[in-house]
Amino acid sequence: MNVKTWFADIEINEDGSVADCRPCSQDVQQLAERLLVFQADPKQIPPARFDPVQNAIECGFAAGETEYYSLLQQTCIAATRLKIKNSYSPDLRIIHAVEALDDIDEAANLLAERLGIWYGEHFPEAGMLTENLAKFVAENGLRQDLQQDSQFHEAARSSVGMEMDAEDGAIIKAFAADLTSLYERRHVIEAYIHKNMKQLAPNLDEVAGANLGARLISMAGGLQSLSRMPSSTIQVMGANQALFKHLRGKASSPKHGIIFNHPLIKNSHPKIRGKMARALASSLSIASRVDAFSGQLNPTIKEKLDRKVRSIKGGSK
Amino acid sequence: MKVKTFHEYIFTLQQGKKRFLATRNLSPGSQVYGERLVQVEQAEYRIWEPKRSKLAAMLLKKLPSPFTTTSKVLYLGSATGTTVSHVSDIVHQGVVYAVEFSPRTMRDMLPICEERPNIIPLLADASKPQSYANVVEPVDVIFQDVAQPDQASIALSNVQHFLKPGGYLLMSIKARSVDSTAKPDTVFKQQLITLLEQDNSKLELVKKQKLAPFHIDHLGVVVKKTE
Ligand SMILES: C[S@@+](CC[C@H](N)C(=O)[O-])C[C@H]1O[C@@H](n2cnc3c(N)ncnc32)[C@H](O)[C@@H]1O
Repeated sequence: MNVKTWFADIEINEDGSVADCRPCSQDVQQLAERLLVFQADPKQIPPARFDPVQNAIECGFAAGETEYYSLLQQTCIAATRLKIKNSYSPDLRIIHAVEALDDIDEAANLLAERLGIWYGEHFPEAGMLTENLAKFVAENGLRQDLQQDSQFHEAARSSVGMEMDAEDGAIIKAFAADLTSLYERRHVIEAYIHKNMKQLAPNLDEVAGANLGARLISMAGGLQSLSRMPSSTIQVMGANQALFKHLRGKASSPKHGIIFNHPLIKNSHPKIRGKMARALASSLSIASRVDAFSGQLNPTIKEKLDRKVRSIKGGSK
Repeated sequence: MKVKTFHEYIFTLQQGKKRFLATRNLSPGSQVYGERLVQVEQAEYRIWEPKRSKLAAMLLKKLPSPFTTTSKVLYLGSATGTTVSHVSDIVHQGVVYAVEFSPRTMRDMLPICEERPNIIPLLADASKPQSYANVVEPVDVIFQDVAQPDQASIALSNVQHFLKPGGYLLMSIKARSVDSTAKPDTVFKQQLITLLEQDNSKLELVKKQKLAPFHIDHLGVVVKKTE
């Protein structure tokens, strides 16, 4: 019988004694690779009760037990490292990006609110919010710094807001600039998600759109696990409290979780939303499976959904 | 603190009325998971909390310990190495083969392996013992804490491959991982049947004990391979 241990190829006689043994060299990296090849496809397994330690010493692979275990540990650590390194799936980049986006949103909302209150004290007539306000303040600074031709020039002159001096202006302008760059970072990450979704999950991208598709992958913990979910789960994913932050305050009912953000549902009459949600979820489930297993764009998934949508709309008249 | 031997190389430290389970640190000065280190005379001990380790709970609930200082141990479901590190202290002249199938979790255990020469990490699925059969030697003890629906059959296939005659299987059965709706007692009974009532498995129940209050709805089991 021919068997493979991590350190040698061994020929064993009927009675269990060793007929021949070809030990490997003590190169840990090579041993680790050999170990992984065996692990992926175990063949020529040593019989139960085979004692590798004694065998390794007799066959000259190791001088004694101490050396055996030291080499074994080094080899197993090296193999484990290699395996860990190769275990990251490419959709992790999408998951991290989506989570970064959420963190940015949280931070940006907080800072935007602060800027609104702060700058509003000085120039309540400006009447802008969030990104527009941040850009405006970062570019223009205080009321008195506005150019003659600014559309806000008049409002600024007659403002009832609190006076601020150059020092106040420098602080608030820098604060607004930070917020602006946060919004810019958000746009860059969003573009990155769009680009990666097209490559990694083209079908999900087509059916759900990049944002929703990426969010589904992130919530499921990966494309593989999303593809294994029944469509009824996809339909309500994100409807519970814990995942609520993803919805960013947008309304939702347990009939549809995060997929409510899809225009097919959001823009439909409430009466047919349930049916739409079911059709969409089933299409998303198919799309994710195709993405997980082939990764090729299959236009018929979207076409089928469109047909279903038409029939739902037709039936509701 | 006063040190007493609990069993072989497992100790208890007594401080006033309080008694702690502990092992002697194989890698003095370093903590593995934030456990308390206590210096007594020439030795450093690591406090072993039963709430953080099923094995510690099993020992405190009077399940017999099969570990000696030279035991070869196959540990299934090592997670980040909390309990494995204590086993490594106990069998300081032996070896622990630590099997874990989650790469993320194993990533956190690697630094512990690098500090302790007797832990052999195996990033593998415990339900496929063939995949590490060219590495693991026949062992004296198999400890299993995988919290999986088919944990009894996972244990069984490893016992067949690797446990020496006269060796012991220690196992923690988590009722909710097997069946979250059934009564824990029903689950325990059914898992024990899977484990013990196989033809010629040659396994004999030594003792079973619930791990409450340390771990709710967990059963600790010690089984001996008779031949
Ligand atoms: C309850 S935790 C173990 C805790 C650990 N024994 C301790 O006390 O420090 C269960 C571990 O088993 C791992 N696991 C589950 N099924 C497994 C399998 N089939 N093969 C290997 N590891 C598995 C899980 O990834 C998890 O890390």
